[in-house]
Amino acid sequence: MRRRLLLATALVAALSLAAGCGGGSGGSSGGRVNIVLWHGYVDTEGKAINAAAALFNKTHPKIHITVQNYGNSDYALQKVLTAIRGGSYPDIVYLYGSWAANVARTPHAVDIAPLIKSDPSIHWNDFWPAERQAVTVGDKIIGVPALVDNLALVYNKKLFRQAGIPFPTASWTWDDLRAAAQKLTNPSAKQFGWAYVNDASEDTVWRFDALLWQAGGDILTPDDKHAAFNSPAGVKAATLLQQMATIDHSIYLDSGNDNYANLFNSGKIGMLFTGPWDLSQFPDVDYGVQILPGDQNHQTISGPDQWVMLDNGDARTKAAWTFLKWFTSPTEAMRWSLATGDLPIRASETKLPAYQAYVKRYNGIATFVQNEGNALKARPVLVDYNEISQAMGQAIQAVLLGKAQPKQALDQAAAQVNQVLAQGG
Amino acid sequence: MRPGRRILGSEHLAGWVFVLPATVLIVVFGIIPIGWVVLLSFQHNDLLAAPTWAGLSNYRELVHDPEFRDSVRRTIVYTALFVPISVGGALAVALLLHSEIRFNRFYRTAVFVPVATSTVATGILFNWLLDPTYGIANYLLGKVGLGPYGFFQDPDQALYAIVAMTVWGWLGFDVIIYLAALQGIPGDVLEAAALDGAGRWATFRHVVLPLLSPATLFLVVWSTINALQVFDEIYVTTRGGPLQATTVIVYELYNQAFALFHAGYAAAIALVLFLITLVFSVLQLWVGNRRVHYSS
Amino acid sequence: MRMRLPFSPRHLALVPISALMLLPLVWMFVTSVETLDQTRHFPPTLIPSGFHWSNYRAAWDQAPFGRFFVNSLIVTGTAVASNLLFCSLAGYAFARLRFFGREVLFIALLATLMVPFQVIMIPTFLIVQHLGLVDSLGGLIAPNLVTPFGIFLLRQFFRTLPVDLEEAARIDGCTRLGVLFRIVLPLSLPALATLGIVTFLWTWNDFLWPLIVITSTDQSTVQLGLASFQGAHDTKWNLLMAGNVMALAPMLIVFVVAQRWFVRSLASTGIR
Repeated sequence: MRRRLLLATALVAALSLAAGCGGGSGGSSGGRVNIVLWHGYVDTEGKAINAAAALFNKTHPKIHITVQNYGNSDYALQKVLTAIRGGSYPDIVYLYGSWAANVARTPHAVDIAPLIKSDPSIHWNDFWPAERQAVTVGDKIIGVPALVDNLALVYNKKLFRQAGIPFPTASWTWDDLRAAAQKLTNPSAKQFGWAYVNDASEDTVWRFDALLWQAGGDILTPDDKHAAFNSPAGVKAATLLQQMATIDHSIYLDSGNDNYANLFNSGKIGMLFTGPWDLSQFPDVDYGVQILPGDQNHQTISGPDQWVMLDNGDARTKAAWTFLKWFTSPTEAMRWSLATGDLPIRASETKLPAYQAYVKRYNGIATFVQNEGNALKARPVLVDYNEISQAMGQAIQAVLLGKAQPKQALDQAAAQVNQVLAQGG
Repeated sequence: MRPGRRILGSEHLAGWVFVLPATVLIVVFGIIPIGWVVLLSFQHNDLLAAPTWAGLSNYRELVHDPEFRDSVRRTIVYTALFVPISVGGALAVALLLHSEIRFNRFYRTAVFVPVATSTVATGILFNWLLDPTYGIANYLLGKVGLGPYGFFQDPDQALYAIVAMTVWGWLGFDVIIYLAALQGIPGDVLEAAALDGAGRWATFRHVVLPLLSPATLFLVVWSTINALQVFDEIYVTTRGGPLQATTVIVYELYNQAFALFHAGYAAAIALVLFLITLVFSVLQLWVGNRRVHYSS
Repeated sequence: MRMRLPFSPRHLALVPISALMLLPLVWMFVTSVETLDQTRHFPPTLIPSGFHWSNYRAAWDQAPFGRFFVNSLIVTGTAVASNLLFCSLAGYAFARLRFFGREVLFIALLATLMVPFQVIMIPTFLIVQHLGLVDSLGGLIAPNLVTPFGIFLLRQFFRTLPVDLEEAARIDGCTRLGVLFRIVLPLSLPALATLGIVTFLWTWNDFLWPLIVITSTDQSTVQLGLASFQGAHDTKWNLLMAGNVMALAPMLIVFVVAQRWFVRSLASTGIR
């Protein structure tokens, strides 16, 4: 039995080596460089990426880019990992920001810091600060910003009028939020004032992060070695959630299946902390957008994703860089935003004439763009981030379900996080 | 049953020739990949950077990991509920369907529909049915004075809600296996029992049930193997929660591999699960071989 | 023995059971004929306010579904045929033939089902890549040619058949292969139909493996095509459900057709 196992392992090892060489289905043909891009866009965005690829191919005869949909983003990571493992991977791939630190560990990921230094035409500092932070892993920069968003307060104007509450203003506090939620909650009509995603995932955590930062707290200490979210600021934020959920019962706890969006559209929820991606799901609501209610400040949180370049040789890396520079240039990025509703990824886009058409077409989007200026802090870009997120998520979920007290829950999570950070990943 | 000693006897040769195609395919696509997983379990590997050798440390960590122990406990509770309920329920439904009543074809197709429905659609359906505020379940239960229940949102109920959901989703599968087996019961055996004066319950217990035992053994083993690996339905509903109440072994494995990038550790979990499953199956088959009634 | 009652009490149990089982299909159908805006309601309704059949056309046009259906049928059909063949051979050997290492081999084959696919999908991909089958229908078919499930199922079923028939045929000079194909298989139609249905179901509904192996659109399957309706944040539920209903149809057709092999005359005992 043992010998068979050794034979099997040897066979597998041999296969892995044999499969290790060779790039994706790109390459060169007759002086033209072929590159491949993987994305998860469907529908409107899918059409937009196909149009962009066609336009690029027409205007850049020496390069040919093929864009392919890699399927549902939940499984995309598995597909990308398999491709990297199999040695046959694309030149550019769209990846979530939360994977950045991990992806940076593969030798196949291109560090674009040298490219940025030698090629100022990328205008790196034109990208929003949150985006630049999200792709910076230590000394490396492992991606070009693909998408940026942030959380703002989206509210149902009709429900506010019905309850006789003035619309949220830019100087709203947590107390205002709580009071409004109470007034908007009506158990007999199965109506809730606020909704919160409570599946203990990053969706649960990142909303809390905004509250934490507004109270003046931080997720980790500046040296990234210890948890800091169980500070009095964190406890204050968690207590707000506890009171609204367990005392006021004014929060609809979404189990992670996005029911809150449909409920909001059906007029059953008064307010949401959500991003621009949800706006198209509310065709039946006359909604308003406002910056988040604050405590010491009105900070928000941003969730950037990026285009990661994978190394298939110098020629293809150069071609991929050319594409990304073109694709993220102010003109093309604005064209993209106008077609899809995604936020502008560069500050300079707000000066383009097309920007006016953009804010006109998408109701409420201007507030989101302005709110990007409130995204001052970012989540730590660490290999262990997901473990930190899970510990925090469990704590917040417990508090919202009324199964734990804020201080105890956060302290317990902090202890777990400190252990993880001490092990050094 | 020990094989005979004539190694080159024609029966031995025939046996091996018959199983050869299937064996080769399963070795290539089953056994070799498992070998890879075994290798992976001895590494610290995130599938991105170069792996380092871990020896047995993944396994040692596993033994001391309270989250893993909890996931094992939950998986066993789930399996202990799922297998008898789904197999027993399927037998009952199969007996109902094994007749010439009208609309039989329609009923059979209806029972099969959940099996053919994608997990995504099933998840959405159950998320809605069991929603504490807006779902039909609490609405109907309220009419008879029960509830409201948290179902997927209550840590104490979530696992049982998953049992209900998966029994619903897989019952039809067991039913068609039982239907096929029931077809194999010759009519004259039942007639003989009736002539002997046996009542319907006695006929069932002493004639039908033993004749169905090969199918029952199959379903019990198969359901156990699947129940121990339950994942998809949890992924589309509770995501292992709330408060990890539905974090079963494979969910823990998936989390370790694809959220935390601990692929080596996940491989160790997979192998421990494999051993647990193997032990269960061998035990069931051994008991089955003694008690299952094959020839008619 | 066959009694046709005007009304059987079985209906009392079967009607509610069927209703419960059909619920997803009803919901899927209702969603598939709504407009996108109508789907954005919670709780959803089971009564459609209109029938937007155009969703089916739109879903069909969104991606080359004609091609996807052909691909899925090729892959699934091949998998069903090869499973029926190889699992019959192996199942018969395990059921009736005594050969060295039989029990151990059986457990070993069965054991390959005990490791979750999430972990073995990467090495399986490497093997398929080595065989040069990545991004092709062959890559989808190869790992599905045989399943130990089928071997186990048929082994159990074959064992329930009376041995006398086979022994009589052997005495008459029939080869073992002949016994299998001429005596055993004709008596096993319900089991074969079951294996066929189940193999069809699994291969047709398989999503994760095609996702990993296929990149080109013209090699995609129906399930991959359905995934194109699901964005990260914005799913077109009405089109997705129209697609799901269309994808479900072949399976239900196969099931209904295969039912004839479930129905055997109760008077027959198989003695020829």
